[in-house]
Amino acid sequence: MPKQLINLTVNGSPYEVAVEPRWTLLEMVREELRFSGSKEGCGTGDCGACSMILRGPQDGRGRLITSCLMLAAQAEGCEVTTIEGLATNGRLHPVQQAFIDTGGVQCGFCTPGMIMASKALLDRNPSPTLEEVREGLAGNLCRCTGYAKIYEAVMHASKAGK
Amino acid sequence: MAQEIKVREKEIQPEYRNVGKRVVRLEGVGKVTGETIYADDMQLPRMLHAKVLGSPYAHARIKSIDASAAREHPGVEAVFTPADLPPYKKNFSNRRGMIFPDEEVLFHGQPLVAVLASDPHVAEEALTLIKIEYEALPPVVDPIAAMEEGSPLVRSPLGDVDRSEERGHVTVGVEQEEAEGKPSNIASQMNFKRGDIEAGFAEADVVVEHTWRSAVVHQSYIEPHSTVADYDASGELSVWTSTQAPFYIRDELSQTLGLPENKIRVTATEVGGGFGGKIYLQELMVAALAMAVRRPVKYIMSRKEDMLAATPAPQAVVHLETGMTRDGKLMALKSRVVYDSGAFPGAPMLPGCLLVGGYYKCENLDIQGYEVLTNKVSVGALRAPGAHNVTFAIESHMDMMARELGLDPIEVRLKNAVEEGDPLPSGQPYPRIGLKQCLEAIAESEVWSRRSKEPGRTSQNNTRRGIGLAVGGWLGGLQPASAIVCLNSDGTINVTVGSADITGTNTSFAQITAEVLNVPLEMVNVTTGDTRTAPYAGMSAGSKTTYTVGRAVKLAAEDARQQMLEIAAKRFEAAPEELEMADGVVRLNGSDEKTLTFQRLGRLSTNFAAPFPAVVGRGAITTRKMAPGFTAQAAEVEVDTDTGEVTLLGFAVAQDAGFAINPLSVEGQMQGGASQGLGIALSEEMIYDGEGRLLNGNLLDYRMPTTRDLPPIEAIIVEVPSEEGPYGARIVGEPSIVAGAAAVGNAIADATGVHLTDAPFTPERVLRALGKI
Repeated sequence: MPKQLINLTVNGSPYEVAVEPRWTLLEMVREELRFSGSKEGCGTGDCGACSMILRGPQDGRGRLITSCLMLAAQAEGCEVTTIEGLATNGRLHPVQQAFIDTGGVQCGFCTPGMIMASKALLDRNPSPTLEEVREGLAGNLCRCTGYAKIYEAVMHASKAGK
Repeated sequence: MAQEIKVREKEIQPEYRNVGKRVVRLEGVGKVTGETIYADDMQLPRMLHAKVLGSPYAHARIKSIDASAAREHPGVEAVFTPADLPPYKKNFSNRRGMIFPDEEVLFHGQPLVAVLASDPHVAEEALTLIKIEYEALPPVVDPIAAMEEGSPLVRSPLGDVDRSEERGHVTVGVEQEEAEGKPSNIASQMNFKRGDIEAGFAEADVVVEHTWRSAVVHQSYIEPHSTVADYDASGELSVWTSTQAPFYIRDELSQTLGLPENKIRVTATEVGGGFGGKIYLQELMVAALAMAVRRPVKYIMSRKEDMLAATPAPQAVVHLETGMTRDGKLMALKSRVVYDSGAFPGAPMLPGCLLVGGYYKCENLDIQGYEVLTNKVSVGALRAPGAHNVTFAIESHMDMMARELGLDPIEVRLKNAVEEGDPLPSGQPYPRIGLKQCLEAIAESEVWSRRSKEPGRTSQNNTRRGIGLAVGGWLGGLQPASAIVCLNSDGTINVTVGSADITGTNTSFAQITAEVLNVPLEMVNVTTGDTRTAPYAGMSAGSKTTYTVGRAVKLAAEDARQQMLEIAAKRFEAAPEELEMADGVVRLNGSDEKTLTFQRLGRLSTNFAAPFPAVVGRGAITTRKMAPGFTAQAAEVEVDTDTGEVTLLGFAVAQDAGFAINPLSVEGQMQGGASQGLGIALSEEMIYDGEGRLLNGNLLDYRMPTTRDLPPIEAIIVEVPSEEGPYGARIVGEPSIVAGAAAVGNAIADATGVHLTDAPFTPERVLRALGKI
C-alpha cells in the first residue's frame, strides 16, 4: 500500500514518518517509532490502554485521545505525548511515582493509559475531588485493582503537585 | 479510601523487619514508564504475524476449504488449513489437544485457518479470501435443554479427557465420574451425600427452594492472549507467551509436538492480567506454525477473538433447597448444580459441588453436579472457578432463611460457619480456617456499620437503599515448588523462581529472603526464569504461589544463610551457632572484630582460587495440605425502582490472608477480586443468541466495571495463620471474587424486599423482579 509522509512531534522530538493510510496513530507509534509503552487492549476505543495526550497546531492544551481510534495521518503537525514522555531526566513524573507508591499498579497493562488519563485530568483540574477522579478516569478500564488504589494515586499526585 | 484495619489472631506476632510490611512492587518502575516488555512488544528478526479465521457457526460440518486465493495474495507467506498443519498428537476431547478441527465446528469463533505474513494487515486481508463451505448442524445452546434425553448432540462423543489444567486451580482428592455408555451432552457428574436429607428437611422450620442462574463471564484481562514462538536450526523451540503456567505449557507442548522438554524454552512474559484465563491456549498453534515455517511467529488475539474463542467462565444453573430450624441451625441442603462447559469438558463442577455445601456445618446433604456440553466456547478458570455461581445460591438462601426467621444475617452465619475439623461435602476435614473471623471483621466494616445506624433507610421517592452481606471461600491448588537463592560477589542476593508473577509474588519473595537473611529489602532481587533456567514451579493459579513457592524461597534462603554461616564459622574457627547475621554482616556473638560482610563472603566464595564454594541455597517443597481462604463482604446499594438501575454506594471485603506478607499487595488482590465479583453481580454477561452466536464480543457491550461504577472498596485483612504457609500465609488471590453477586443480591433484597435469582442484576432484571415490566 502506498505511503505518505507526515511530520509530527512525539515526546518532544520531531519525526518524519512514512505511513500507510490505514495505520492508526497507536500502530505507528508502537511499530514504527518503537515507543511500545502504549498498549492495545481492544482496538475499538473502549479500554483506554492506548491513551496519549495530543496537542494539535491550533490547540491550547493537549487533550487525551484513544490512539487506536485515530489514524496516523491525522496526527500531521501534532505534538504527541506518550507514557515514555512523562519522566524527565530519569525522574518519574509525580503521577508515575504515586501509582507505584499507592499500589495503583498491578499487571501494568492499563497503567500507561491510566497514567496518561490521570495526567490529563490533573492538568485541567489540579485538585480534583474523588468524584471528579472517578469521572475523569471513566474511559480507562483496569481489571486488576478495583480502582481503589488508582483513586488514591491520583489524589496523592494532586496533593504532591501543589 | 482503602482501610488498613487488621484483625490479627491474638497470638503474639514476632517482630519482623521485612515480611508483613507494605512494600511497593519490585517491577513498578518498568510498568509506570512503559518499559516493561509484554509479548506484543517483542520483535524478532524475520518475524511473521499470524491472523486466524474463526467459524461463523456454533455447530457445523466443514465441507470444504478453498484457501488458494489467500495463498496467492501478495505478501502472504503461508496459509494453514487443518490439512496443512504439521503432524501433532491430536486429542479432540480436550480444547488444548486441538489446533483446528478437521471436520466438525463446535462453537462460534472456533479457529479454523491461519495466515502468516510479515505485515499483519496483509494477513488480515488474506483471511477475507478464504472460502469455506459449511453444512450447518443444530446448535445446542441451553445447558438444561442439552441434558434432556433426545437433545441433539453437541459433538461427536468424547474420548480420553485430560483434567490436568483444572487440578492446577483446585487440588482435592476427589474424582468426577466421566460420562460412559449412551452418548449424551453430560460430560461428567458427581454426587456428595451426608446424613438423611429427608429427615433433615422434616426437622426444619423453614425451607427455601429456588433456582439461581449466573451468566457466562469473561476474564477480560486488558492484554489479550499474546504469544511469540521460534524454532531454530538446532531443533529448539522457544515460546514467549503471556501465561500463568510456563512449565505446564512446556509439558503439554512436549507431549503434543513430540519434543523433549529440555528442547523447549517457555518464557512467561509479563502477564497483562490473567485471572485464571491465561494457562495454555494458542501456544500450541503458534509453536506448530513456527516449526512449520522455521521463522518466528507472533499471534496477538484481537479483543473480539479473545471474547469469542478464549476460555471464559461458565454459566451455571443451581437448584437449591435448604432447611433451617427456628433457632437458625442449618438442617438440610439439597442441590443440583449444572455447569455449562461449552464445547469441551473443563467446567469447575467439582469445586462448585464442594463449596455449595462447604461453608456451613450441615448434617444432611445431597449435592448432585453435572458438567454439560453446549455449542459455546469451552470454559476455563476465572479466579476461584465455579465458586461465585454456587455462592450466589447458598448465600442468598442464608439471607432468605434468616429474614423469614427474624434472625441477624451475621449471627445465623456465625452459628453455622465451618471451622477447623469440619468436613467438606467430600468428607475431607478443613485445616485451620478463618471464616468466622471474617464474619466478625465484616461486622466492623464502615459499610455494615451504616446498617445499624440507618434503620428504615428505605424509601425516598423512587429510590431504595439497602445493605447486604455474603461469605465466600476457595480451597486452592497444590503443586510442588522450588527456588534458588544465590549470594553475589558484591554481597547482594539473587533469587530465582519458576513461577510467573501475576500478583506481586516476586516482591513477596524478596521480602521473605530479606527476612531470613536479616537484610534491607534493597539487597535482594528476584527473577522469574524460563523453563530451561528456573527451578520448577506449578502454575500461578489456585492462589498457591506464595503458599507453595514462598515456602520454597524461605527454605532456599535458610539454606543460603546456613552456607554463609558455615563459611564465617570456618574463618572464625567457631561454631555456626555462635554467629549472628544482621544488616549484611556476619559477626561472632558480641564481637566487634570478628565480622564478615556479605560482600566479603561473596568474594570468598566467587573469586579466583577462592577458598569456599559459591553460596547457592536450594529450597524445594511439596504439600498436600490445603490452606483455604475465606471472605465476608458487605454491599450498600441504591435501587432506582423506576429505571431498575442499581448504584453501588459502598463495598467492603474482609478476607483471611493467614499472614499478609505484603499487605499492600493483599489489599490489591482483595479489591481487584471484589471488583470482578461486582461485575458478575451488576453488569457482566456474554450474551448468545439462539444459534449460539456471541452478540457482545467487545468491551463496550460486555460491561466490566468502570470508575463510574465502583466507589473505593474497603479492604479488611484478617489473619488466621495457615499451618504450612510461609509465616502463616495462606491462599489470597481468588476468594475476593466469590461473594460479590450474593452480597449485592442481598443488599437489593434489603432495599426492595425482592431477591433476584438471575445474575447480573441488570436494570431489566431488576424491573422484572419488581413486577414493573
